[in-house]
Amino acid sequence: MRAYFNDIPRTLLTMAYWAFVLYLLVPLTLMMAMSFKDANFVAFPIGDWTLRWYAQVMQDRQFLEACLYSIVIAAAATFSATVIGVWIAMLITKASSRWSGVLFALACLPAVVPGMISAISLRVFISTIDLPTGTAAIVLGHTVHAVPFVVVMALTRLRSMPPNLVDAARDLGADSIIAFFRVTLPYLGPAIVGGMIFCVLLSVDDFVRTFFLGGYRPTLPMLIFAKVQGGMSPEINAMATLVLIVTAAVGLYAEYMTRRSRSR
Amino acid sequence: MKDFTASRRTTLKLLGGAAAGALGVPYIIRPRPAWAQSKVLNVTTYDKFLPADFVEKFQKDTGIQVNIRLTDDQGKQYNLLAAEGANPSTDMVTVAGHRYTQFIASNLLAPLDTGKIPNWKNLNPAYQNAPWTKVNDKLWGLPILAGYEGLAINTNYVKDPQSWDVMFDEQYKGMTSYVVSDFMTIVMKYLGFDGDFTTYVDKPEEAQKATNAARDFLIKQKGMVRKYYDAGSEVQQMFLNEDIYLAQCWSGPAAKLIAEGHPIRLSVPKEGTFGFCYTLNIVNNAANAENAYKLLDAILADPAVGASMTRQSGFASTISGVPELLNDLERAANSLPQEQVERIVFFSSINRDMKNEMIDKATAEVKAA
Amino acid sequence: MNSGLYQATLGAAVASQAGRLVLLAGVPLLWLVFMHIGPIYQMAKISFLVQYPLQAGQEASYTLANYAIFFSESIYFLPLIRSFIFSFAATAVTLIVVFPVAYYVAKVVRPDRRSKALLLLLVPFWAGELIRTFSVIMLLANRGALNVLLRELGFIDRPIPMLYTSFSLGFGLVYLICLYMLLPLYSSIEKIPKHLLDAAADLGAGPVTRFRRIVLPLSRDGIVSGCSLVFLTCIGVFATPMLLGGPTTVMFPETISGFFHGASDKWPVGASFALIMLVSALTTAGIFMRLVGGKATKLM
Repeated sequence: MRAYFNDIPRTLLTMAYWAFVLYLLVPLTLMMAMSFKDANFVAFPIGDWTLRWYAQVMQDRQFLEACLYSIVIAAAATFSATVIGVWIAMLITKASSRWSGVLFALACLPAVVPGMISAISLRVFISTIDLPTGTAAIVLGHTVHAVPFVVVMALTRLRSMPPNLVDAARDLGADSIIAFFRVTLPYLGPAIVGGMIFCVLLSVDDFVRTFFLGGYRPTLPMLIFAKVQGGMSPEINAMATLVLIVTAAVGLYAEYMTRRSRSR
Repeated sequence: MKDFTASRRTTLKLLGGAAAGALGVPYIIRPRPAWAQSKVLNVTTYDKFLPADFVEKFQKDTGIQVNIRLTDDQGKQYNLLAAEGANPSTDMVTVAGHRYTQFIASNLLAPLDTGKIPNWKNLNPAYQNAPWTKVNDKLWGLPILAGYEGLAINTNYVKDPQSWDVMFDEQYKGMTSYVVSDFMTIVMKYLGFDGDFTTYVDKPEEAQKATNAARDFLIKQKGMVRKYYDAGSEVQQMFLNEDIYLAQCWSGPAAKLIAEGHPIRLSVPKEGTFGFCYTLNIVNNAANAENAYKLLDAILADPAVGASMTRQSGFASTISGVPELLNDLERAANSLPQEQVERIVFFSSINRDMKNEMIDKATAEVKAA
Repeated sequence: MNSGLYQATLGAAVASQAGRLVLLAGVPLLWLVFMHIGPIYQMAKISFLVQYPLQAGQEASYTLANYAIFFSESIYFLPLIRSFIFSFAATAVTLIVVFPVAYYVAKVVRPDRRSKALLLLLVPFWAGELIRTFSVIMLLANRGALNVLLRELGFIDRPIPMLYTSFSLGFGLVYLICLYMLLPLYSSIEKIPKHLLDAAADLGAGPVTRFRRIVLPLSRDGIVSGCSLVFLTCIGVFATPMLLGGPTTVMFPETISGFFHGASDKWPVGASFALIMLVSALTTAGIFMRLVGGKATKLM
């Protein structure tokens, strides 16, 4: 009887999931197909197919350097935004209800500001603190942009965390810091991972702040924007396709490794 | 009071610096920022405008290290320089025609001394003393590319239009596109007004009346247009996807499609249009101005650079010897019948404040309507 | 962790009330004040200036006129309203579309396949905002995949103009931001105890009742977070509406950027408009959280 009731929603949910996967993947598949087009502009019909764009992109030192630089910046920004974001979220949950509202609004501020305005104000700001443009400034800018996302993700779980968990740890003699690292942090796990994914994506995607805060070493989005300016060429699609394939492979490998370490 | 401000500022610096320092420790160790060194030149320009082998040769010949910041948009370039104020992080910028006077008026550029550019003679004579290049009797940039705002059509669907009228023809409803601010000045011309405001000096009422007429016309025609675009790559994509058959289009992006063999034609309708130049400019207070002069001279000496710029942007080069390096299609893409060439009026450099102010406001109104 | 060094430093701090407060609030408060307010403060200062950038030797003079422009000219009001309506609609649609997906991944998929199911949803986002926007154009254009398909199947003779409409804008917006809904929802649904659902089913509660009485209340935190992230991102997003929208869907960020990108120098006006948007968006999000969040959240 129970299985019967379970089945209809289950089927519907499965369908919803796969429909959503299609929605996400179909436009991207078109984008990838275009990377094989033998012409200087992207458009249907594809006509002749070629691999020359891949040959060109893989020999393009500028592209590889931009990818590496983007990864370095993303890693630094993700690390700092995660630490600061979780810290702010802890403060918000501990604050009195009046203050938590104010703090939360403050924490969200950078997420709402349109990119250009945020970039300009950051540029003016770093010159008032005498920080030169460059990698440090870019990382700072990306961190500021990403912190709200970590805060919101962490709060999603913190708010409904059973208070007795921490109390129990305290009863066992742990002080606040130890209780945080042993109890709260593991409980926050999935939310923090989600927040970190946002950080990396925001950093890897950011163009305007990077342009204003650094600039002479192009990051991947800077390179892509600059190339689009001269016309949407399949070369850009080939770059994006390579990025997708590599990230998917890394993701699968990481998933495989975590599963193997768990099953041990 | 003064002390208080100073100390608050210092605290701000300390704390901000500490936070930033903690984030970027490995990178901050570098002793001096790159732009403070003497054998360096920092250039902000478009992708492929300076070919890699040219830059390499220039670096080898002069010992100057060239750093290139790629830009994709005039607004960003302007905002960055404006935000940096008296300490620009770049020595050279690449400014498009309608921005030229804005950069000058905001004190962002340094006047150019052609005496320091031995190869100045290699610039096409038509641009060596063009009146629009002079503001306050000084020259502020090296013209590198010339273009105009043309009428682009898909020849499979539209037959040889002679007038801007065709943009408002019911038969092409939902098949047109334009950049609102650019097209507004053309519409003013089309309606019989002065779209470049040169005759409106000290006549703000008359100018406002003309602007309002164009604005109201465009609002009335809002149902006709498919999209207001901003970037050349957008209008290229719309033509390729056949989302539009007609557009007001800068000559560069259209010429690139034509050179690829797409069924696009570019013309100047009988009411006329405006022309403009891209210029390479030395920034006001540039730390490496002398090196910038060397680069400008090297660019004029080597037509391959101009050819690369033309291939990347589609616009015609202003440097002698470049057309010889292009293939037939690339040359044809930028050629116009003489009678149409004569319909192009270069954007002037007078009365810009009034023009920019009124056109920007009217643009916002058209978009919001 | 219990080394002497720890006892002498952090341990000592934790032992006292004041020490605990500094540990908890020190870094976050400094960060919020300097890094979140700092840049915005610069912008706010500019928004009261008569002119910016200042010419050499020019004294700064302040005015309220930049704000007055917004309230005195109705043409700027319309894009703001449009931005809000679109962001609300996009948030609602995203919630409805993504909720079943998040539930499926969190509760229906076998746990050992869960991370793969999530990965499949995550990968598309690595292509970047611009590329994903162009992908949508490839799908919806007059000669895009959808129109070609419909014509091949004989449903239409002439392409349906789908691009540069409210539809393409909505489609693209949801496409870009659904991840901001997915992860908070997943994180909150994932922690709903399975035995609670089983027990309810044993007691005869149908799927609808279980959803209404258990899943919905217990995933409320995720809904609130996801909706706030999506809404706040939507309000500030700039490139996508410009690339996918049409002449009648000009949003407020585009209006603002007009002041920064235009040929006339209007930074102070743009800055004041940005602050108006900031305040109204945060207020709206705050009201929403108070209404939906209810007593379960300690927020606000």
